[in-house]
Amino acid sequence: MAEFSTSVKTAGEVNIIYLKGYLDAHTAPVLENTFSNLIDKGDYSLVVNFKDLNYISSAGLGVFMAFIEKIRDNKGDIKLSSMSDKVFNIFDLLGFPLLYEIFKTEDEAINKFKEIKKLEDQ
Amino acid sequence: MKLNTGNLKGNIKFQSFIILSVILFIYKVFVYSSGSWIHFLINGVLSALTIISLIIYLIEFSHSRKINPLALVINVGVLNAVLFFMFTYSDSILSSLLNINTGKINQGIFDNIISFFYSFIILVSVSVIFMVFRELYFLKQKKNVSLYFNTMIVFFILASFGALLIDVPDLHYIRDTFFIISVLLIIINSLKISWIAFIVKKEKISLLALSIVISILFIANLISSSSNKLSERVVVQFSPILNQFLKLIMTYGIIYFGILFFTTLFHIPTAEAFDRKAQEVSFLQYFSKLISQSMDFKELADSLTEISAKVCNANAAWLVLKDGEEFKAMANKDIGYYDSNLLTKFIFEMKHPKTDEQTFFLNLNRFNDRPQLSDNFVHVAASPLKSHNELKGYLVAVKKNDFIFDDEDKDAMTTFSDYASLAIENSRLLEESIEKERMEKELDVAREIQRKILPSKDPQLEKLQISSVFIPAFEVGGDYYDFFKLEPDKFGFVIADVSGKGISAAFIMAEIKGIFESLSKTMESPRNILIKANEILERTLDRKNFVSAAYGLIDLKSDTLSIARAGHCPVLLIRNNAAQQIRPSGIGLGLDYSSNFINSLDEEIIKLEDNDIFVLYTDGITEAKNSDLEDFGTKNFENVLLENSEKGVDEIANSVMKNIALFSQNNSQHDDITLVILKWKQKLKNNGVKNGRIQHLS
Repeated sequence: MAEFSTSVKTAGEVNIIYLKGYLDAHTAPVLENTFSNLIDKGDYSLVVNFKDLNYISSAGLGVFMAFIEKIRDNKGDIKLSSMSDKVFNIFDLLGFPLLYEIFKTEDEAINKFKEIKKLEDQ
Repeated sequence: MKLNTGNLKGNIKFQSFIILSVILFIYKVFVYSSGSWIHFLINGVLSALTIISLIIYLIEFSHSRKINPLALVINVGVLNAVLFFMFTYSDSILSSLLNINTGKINQGIFDNIISFFYSFIILVSVSVIFMVFRELYFLKQKKNVSLYFNTMIVFFILASFGALLIDVPDLHYIRDTFFIISVLLIIINSLKISWIAFIVKKEKISLLALSIVISILFIANLISSSSNKLSERVVVQFSPILNQFLKLIMTYGIIYFGILFFTTLFHIPTAEAFDRKAQEVSFLQYFSKLISQSMDFKELADSLTEISAKVCNANAAWLVLKDGEEFKAMANKDIGYYDSNLLTKFIFEMKHPKTDEQTFFLNLNRFNDRPQLSDNFVHVAASPLKSHNELKGYLVAVKKNDFIFDDEDKDAMTTFSDYASLAIENSRLLEESIEKERMEKELDVAREIQRKILPSKDPQLEKLQISSVFIPAFEVGGDYYDFFKLEPDKFGFVIADVSGKGISAAFIMAEIKGIFESLSKTMESPRNILIKANEILERTLDRKNFVSAAYGLIDLKSDTLSIARAGHCPVLLIRNNAAQQIRPSGIGLGLDYSSNFINSLDEEIIKLEDNDIFVLYTDGITEAKNSDLEDFGTKNFENVLLENSEKGVDEIANSVMKNIALFSQNNSQHDDITLVILKWKQKLKNNGVKNGRIQHLS
């Protein structure tokens, strides 16, 4: 059985979710839980790091769609980072780059949040 | 067969006893005369043989019965009482029946018959008592102890035959020596009374009373059988051997029941603990049976709490099951749900017990809500229920007032909670298998839906060769493709992949089919069809579901293909031995309902050339995996297509499938595989010969 796990790191206002392994219909609930827990705590600025993700299926992509509306309603966002070419290609085919900001590195994604915060503060 | 031979043996033994008795009777009544040594000896041997044959028969007889020690003891008591009355009233009854001259018993036939039967009753009673002692001796003996008993029998026989020397006072010491040795052996053998440990407390108390009465009866009988009363004289005259045997058995009885009395007396204080252990063991047996037979967890839980309460002497017990972070009481025994919920909340949610602890105790003195309880519960014992090292709940028992739980209770709780854990695990496995079966049924339905939705055969067109292959995954993947022959010279096709799997994907698929079926008839532009489809889906599709799709329309007159893509895999075009991806931009259906979707959606128009091959597929092909979990990939796919591009569409499709099968032979198919190959044959009419030749060659 393909394994999948997530871990969360907090960096200031932003939470980074690390994905590892195979994200498909069977393992999607793991990620759903991770998102739910963060949203319950009121954390809406999320960066998802795909560095260690080997595979994502359509059901895995669906998880992002399930939460994005609520997060954006709360002035947050999910930003994606560090995808392998293979994973990016799957996102790209479906047109995700039009729906989500995808960054090369985790830091770029975090900085984007910081810039927005700065703008808001001004 | 075995039973029959047993019966036969028993019969033979019984017959030999009867024959010996009759011979003894005839001999005593008609032949015997006192004073003759020969007669005296024959009489002794005959009586001894009668006793022995009777005992042998009785042993055989007793083997076929289930032995209850208390019933045996009562038998001894009854026989003893009979003997007691016979001895007590013998003087008055016998003296009135027998003619007695100067202290000597007359030897008339009538006298002989009377004294024979009198003695014979004693003979039978004593033999039965001996048999009972033998049964009691071997009861619950784990080791082979027959040596002691057999030695004792040998000395019984020696002592009894020693009684034949009644008229030789000089040799009385022989008889007495054997008698004393017999008594010593009796004492040793009387210590083997382990069976009393196995009877319950109630029985022990009745045994105590019985044994004192019976030992007194034995003492009385021994005294009256050796007080030179008329009775003794009759028996001695019948046979000194019987008299001696009688004395031995009476002595045995006194010693045995004396020891039994004191042993039972000392056993009584521990009887309760012993009963409890025995009860526990029998409950555990009962549970093992219940667990293996019962499907119903609730039933098991009820028995568990009931028996746990009983074994721990607790006033109430219940099970607590962990449900997320909450704890819920169930299978309450002698406690209301209000009380159990209150206590459960206090014990597990406020105190947060350490789960690595086995069974733990708790005092409710500091429980603030205690006045709300309907009973004065003070002490709590709780034992964790674990399955796969995960805490599932607790078995809880409570005691009222000042009764506390001790280590014995702790052990019992631990044992029973282990059983409860096992039961939980069992019911979980059962539920899992039911769930699995349900899922398989569901998947059957989903596959059936899918099979009916997909086109049953490929359409035949003049200028277009079409071949399609669909292989469903075990868990239905939600692939969909379809063709639409449109009037007048238009041909539409669609390929789509619904996110997710199983029956929910199959239902969305059915909806998609409906949408494209109707839209293809009312609209022409692939782009507009996809925009409209996205609009319709907004009303029904879940937020996390989406559909990737590609729609193409071929104008058979103007030889053009217009195609739009909503997030689906690109369409491959094989032209002039090169593969190119037709990938107009577009977001998957259901991902975005804003103008974003419309703005990003492009439509591409391609002028068709002869032998153009268009390949539609779903990611089941490119993501087919080998045993190292590597993807089949686009490169491999394109290579296979290029290598076979000269062949007919069916052959191309076959080659692709063969290659995928070869690649992923050691791995199961995760996703539906759909492959549609379209080959444009523009010059079909003009160049039928060439085409015909190719077909001929293949």
